[in-house]
Order: sequence, then C-alpha cells, then structure tokens
Amino acid sequence: MTHELSLPEQWLPLYGDILFRYGVSRVRDSDIAEDLVQETLLAALKAKDNYIGQSSEKTWLIGILKHKIIDYFRKTSRENLQELDELSVAAEELGNDSFFNQKGSWLTNLSTWSKPEQSFEQEEFLAILEQCIERLSPHMAQLFILREVEDMSSEEICDVLSISTLNNLWVMLSRIRGQLRLCLDKNWINQ
Amino acid sequence: MLTCKEVSFLASKKLDKKLTLREQIGFLFHMRICRLCRYYANDLKSLHLMMQKKGKTGRVLLSESTKLSEQSRARIKHAIDTVLSQ
Repeated sequence: MTHELSLPEQWLPLYGDILFRYGVSRVRDSDIAEDLVQETLLAALKAKDNYIGQSSEKTWLIGILKHKIIDYFRKTSRENLQELDELSVAAEELGNDSFFNQKGSWLTNLSTWSKPEQSFEQEEFLAILEQCIERLSPHMAQLFILREVEDMSSEEICDVLSISTLNNLWVMLSRIRGQLRLCLDKNWINQ
Repeated sequence: MLTCKEVSFLASKKLDKKLTLREQIGFLFHMRICRLCRYYANDLKSLHLMMQKKGKTGRVLLSESTKLSEQSRARIKHAIDTVLSQ
C-alpha cells in the first residue's frame, strides 16, 4: 500500500501536537521541542518530492523529527562533553549510598510490584511515571528515553551523547532505574 | 560473593548488554540466596519491558493535553507560509 501526502498547509494542524509531544518526551524541553517541530516541517517541505509513500505521512514526519532530535543531542552533548561523564562518576561515588550500607547490602526492606502489567496500562500510572522521569535531571531523562523507548544500543547512545565509556553509561542507567523504581514505589498508590 | 550493590548494577546492565560468564554466575548465585535482589531485578525488568512496549506502540508518555502553544503554532505557521509563498 502506498500513501499520499496531504497539503503541506495541513501538516501543522494535523500533526503539530503529535510531533510536539514526541519531541518534548525526548528532549525534555518545550522551547527546544517547538524549534524541532518547526525544523521538521520545514525539512519535510524540502523533501516532499522524494516521498515515495512507503510509510504513512505521520510516520514519515516522525522519522524526520527523530533525525532532528539525534542531531540536537549530538550538538549539545559535544558542548557539554565533560559534564555528563562527571555526573556519571559522581553518581557512582555517592549515588547508591541511599540504597546500600557500607557493606553493599540493602538498607531498606523492599518488596516487589504485584501484577505490574495491569497497572502499566492505567492513565494514572503513566502520569506518575512521567512525573518520576521529570524528576531526573534532563540529561538523565534523555539518556533513559533513548535507551528504553527508542531502544538505541549502548554503543549508539555513547556516540550520540558523547559518553566516554560503556561502563559509565551502564552506571548511569543503573542509577536512573534505581531512582525511578523508588519513585514509582513511593508514589504509585494503586499497586 | 557479590554484594547487593554490585548485583543491583548487574540487574540493570543485564537489560543493556549480555553479561560476561563470570558476571552471570555471580549474579545467578546471589539471586538464589537474596530475596531483595530478586525483587529488585524483577521490578527493573518489568519497567524495562513496559518502556520498550511503549516505544513500539508509539504511545508517547505525555498526555494528550500537552500541546503547542498558540504563539508557537502561529510562529511555525508563519515560517511554513513564508517558504510556501516563495
């Protein structure tokens, strides 16, 4: 099945908000997401003659936005090259203190989530999850989304976000997941 | 014998990369004897699978109420119209 494009004037009313939400959930900043939506639509305008209708218009536009997001990450991570790696080291040093005693054993008596699959479908859970992600630093949230939602490999993420070693990335991911787990545990009342 | 702290790291790393044989043995051995780490690893895996599923279904985390502001909509429209009229 081949798809056809609607008039470019229609793109903003039809897909503006979808693209915006997609952008905000990845870059964690409304102003930047807005700019990326504009860049995406302008790039689409230039590229529309090359559209061969293999994917739907929406998928095509999101594809362009994805490239714009990756470009944005590459650009900004080069500028903040050291910041992220320093963060990871800091995370390693003091990060897990709150979870473990000096011998490295759990400080708290944690329990596990029962029937998480059911709760995961609830709107209320999603709102709490989003809040918990929002509490991470923007860098950490971006990293987490690239890994989990975009399913980028560890190697790709290190490249795009200029993280010096794979181990640094895994330390950060471990820290992020631990924080999110705790946040969900505390705030998710319906479990 | 690995500590819980080390095992919690491996429980996360496992979701990103295949563990080395040595790591895997240490991890599995610890999991057999430590209930808290089993719980922790379980939850991380649930969270990971759920996020991946969200990615695949294209369902974005933000609610439908997150929208472009009127100003930015107007600004983007202007930018598009400018190019179209050229």
